[in-house]
Amino acid sequence: MTFKGLPKRQRLVGAWLLLSGISLLGGVLFAAWLDSQIALSSLARVALWLGSLSGGMTLCLMGVLLERRLLAPLRHLQTQLARWVANPDAQDEEAPEGWLKGLGPDLRRVSQSWRADRMRLATAHAEGARSASRIRQELETLLQVLETPLLLCDRHRRVMLFNQAAETFFTGNTGLGLGKRLDALLPTATLANAMAQLPDDGSPREMLTHCGQRWVKVVIRRVPGSERETLVTCSDATTTWNNEMGVRAELNRRLPPLRQHAANVSSAVDALRHIHATNVPLELRTRLEGVMHDESQALNQHVAEFATLLDDLQYHGERLRPIWSNDFWQALDERLDPAHRLITPIGVPAWFKGDAPALIELFASLVDHLRCHLPTRGFEGEISLQPKRAYVDLMWRGAPVPEGELSVWRDTILSTLPLGPAVADILRQHATDIWSVADADKCHARLRLPLPAITQTHAPREMAPSRPEFHDFGIAQLPAPDEALAHRALRCLEIVAFDTETTGLELRRGDTVVSLGACRIVNGRLLASDAFDHYVDPQRLIPAASTVIHGITDADVADAEPLHTVLGEFRDYVGDAVMLAHNAAFDMLAISGHGVHFDIPVLDTLLISKALDEALDGHDLDTLARRYDLHFPPNTRHTALGDARVTAELWLALLPRLEARGIDTLEELLALQANAFDKEDASAP
Amino acid sequence: MANVLVVDDEPNILLSLEFLMSHAGLTVITATDGETALQRIADTSPDLLLLDISLPGISGFEVLEQLRRSERERHLPVIMLTAHGREVEREKGLALGADDYVTKPFSTHQLVEKVKALLGERDT
Repeated sequence: MTFKGLPKRQRLVGAWLLLSGISLLGGVLFAAWLDSQIALSSLARVALWLGSLSGGMTLCLMGVLLERRLLAPLRHLQTQLARWVANPDAQDEEAPEGWLKGLGPDLRRVSQSWRADRMRLATAHAEGARSASRIRQELETLLQVLETPLLLCDRHRRVMLFNQAAETFFTGNTGLGLGKRLDALLPTATLANAMAQLPDDGSPREMLTHCGQRWVKVVIRRVPGSERETLVTCSDATTTWNNEMGVRAELNRRLPPLRQHAANVSSAVDALRHIHATNVPLELRTRLEGVMHDESQALNQHVAEFATLLDDLQYHGERLRPIWSNDFWQALDERLDPAHRLITPIGVPAWFKGDAPALIELFASLVDHLRCHLPTRGFEGEISLQPKRAYVDLMWRGAPVPEGELSVWRDTILSTLPLGPAVADILRQHATDIWSVADADKCHARLRLPLPAITQTHAPREMAPSRPEFHDFGIAQLPAPDEALAHRALRCLEIVAFDTETTGLELRRGDTVVSLGACRIVNGRLLASDAFDHYVDPQRLIPAASTVIHGITDADVADAEPLHTVLGEFRDYVGDAVMLAHNAAFDMLAISGHGVHFDIPVLDTLLISKALDEALDGHDLDTLARRYDLHFPPNTRHTALGDARVTAELWLALLPRLEARGIDTLEELLALQANAFDKEDASAP
Repeated sequence: MANVLVVDDEPNILLSLEFLMSHAGLTVITATDGETALQRIADTSPDLLLLDISLPGISGFEVLEQLRRSERERHLPVIMLTAHGREVEREKGLALGADDYVTKPFSTHQLVEKVKALLGERDT
């Protein structure tokens, strides 16, 4: 319904007054003229005047009537309709008056059914959203607990989703991240080719690619019904390969010579047994004995090698996984008695290999026996590392457990484990045994279980408990990565915001980087867990004045890598992204001239802010953070990563303002930035 | 002439070992299980023990442990014999107090050398 056709109220009133005036004036003039022309009786004069004025008076009265009964209710209806449009749920409705009164019930009916429809829609929407969010949450949980490393890529091979297992699998590989190309993670041309030729029905294709130190088996399949999205699952083929090609192949290789030597011995024995029956020269007898001696030596040698291989095979058992000793003691303690700490871990924690659930049950059984056997209530747990083995020791104050007692404990059935194995079976599974000896101080004793050690030395990585962005399906809507960067929309740019902390401000006079931090923006979102944060060894002392600002001391950077190494890693981290910094000229100078080239566009929030608000003063990071209401956690300002994050947030705040000014592409922004830079240059003293 | 007690439940190897040890100038006593072995040790006080690990009844490890705990025989040289040959067993044998460890199959020549070396050490 449109009210465009309605004449303005003032104009209507004007026309009405004019018409009424003209009619009344015309009536008066006409009556006066007639009255002067003919002499009339007083009654006829009254009739003349009334007749002459009746037209004007009727017009006047009609106007008042129309205004009261039609036009005012129409205006009222107009307001009411406008209010409904602005706020459909407003309840304060008034029924039309005057001649429109008849519309009242119909209008009420229309408005009520409209409101009811809207309510139904809103409820359905809320329910849909709730169920979608529940499904999403379940799916996310499922993906995160899945042990198989899994990635989902869009048709341009950009990662839209990866799970925790994938993150663990590719630990230390900077190629993994939302929006990054799969090629950066698994740089194989054949993989890209295979992905291009995948059948649409979702049937899988397997391939083996080399990734760092290992072989990775990659299974790829198209997601049916999707926009050519690919599901990628990975497994470490090196372990399986080592198992199959290593020890097993070696065992196979050793069997024929063993048969050969055994045949040689039995032939020689047979020959010697016949010697008495026949008349043979002494020389032959001596030679046969020589053969037996040599062959039995060879047999011994081979059997010893077989035994070693068998041990190796046992240690490579698929159920034997790396275990961090502190995790093991804690899990054991929780299994034994969650309320009291029964075992105190001592010494240096270490990695060892074992079937953790079986070992926990094994130790739980041993501790139960020990508690019956000994008066002691508490134990100490210690790992001592040998060249190939880790001794897992339980220690107590008192005497060792006799071997005879232990042999009874070995027969204990661990009924909580599948198939109910005995302690001895678990020991056999780990190719090991237990024994108990007194310590050198004669006051303490220990129960020892040797297990295979592994060469890993560092403590396990702390896993971030919540990691909200492991998927972003919006990535599939981003333009193709090979589309000319210059014409890419700003919102679609992958951006790495970075910042450096330095020994001082005189970069041209020897000041250099002590810390480099960066974070990534993909699809207009700052990724919280995708960060680059490295100390750098400046290979010179950090002046106290600088330490006051960024808090980095010489001790902090003592074990850090030199700048050119960190920059190499940083270049990998940046990948194909556009770089962003606040006062980029300084940071770019800090990272240039160290053999790593950053031949990619660089954006500068300082220049962009100046270009947008020429008239305003204050374009430093603190002022801008206040202006755009950006918050940073305490103690992160003046850390490289903290400032990089503020810069990234600032970029996201500036983005809508750039778009509002019609600056949509990288090319346009770079031109704006260059313009601001020229102005700054011209005004510089 | 030194006394050597050989404890093994395999009669075939006892036959050869007995012969070879006597040939090397040693007096050989034999036992085929743990209890008998402990009895023989108490009766004859041998100068050296060749002790197999898997024995019927109490195991070689238990015999060793009891010896090491007894006042009289705690310094008796013991060489463990085993057909298992796992690295862990060797470590366990040495941890419980064995002086040496030989995995089957072994070179009898080397075994005799080890026995002589241990007896020599004890004498000096």
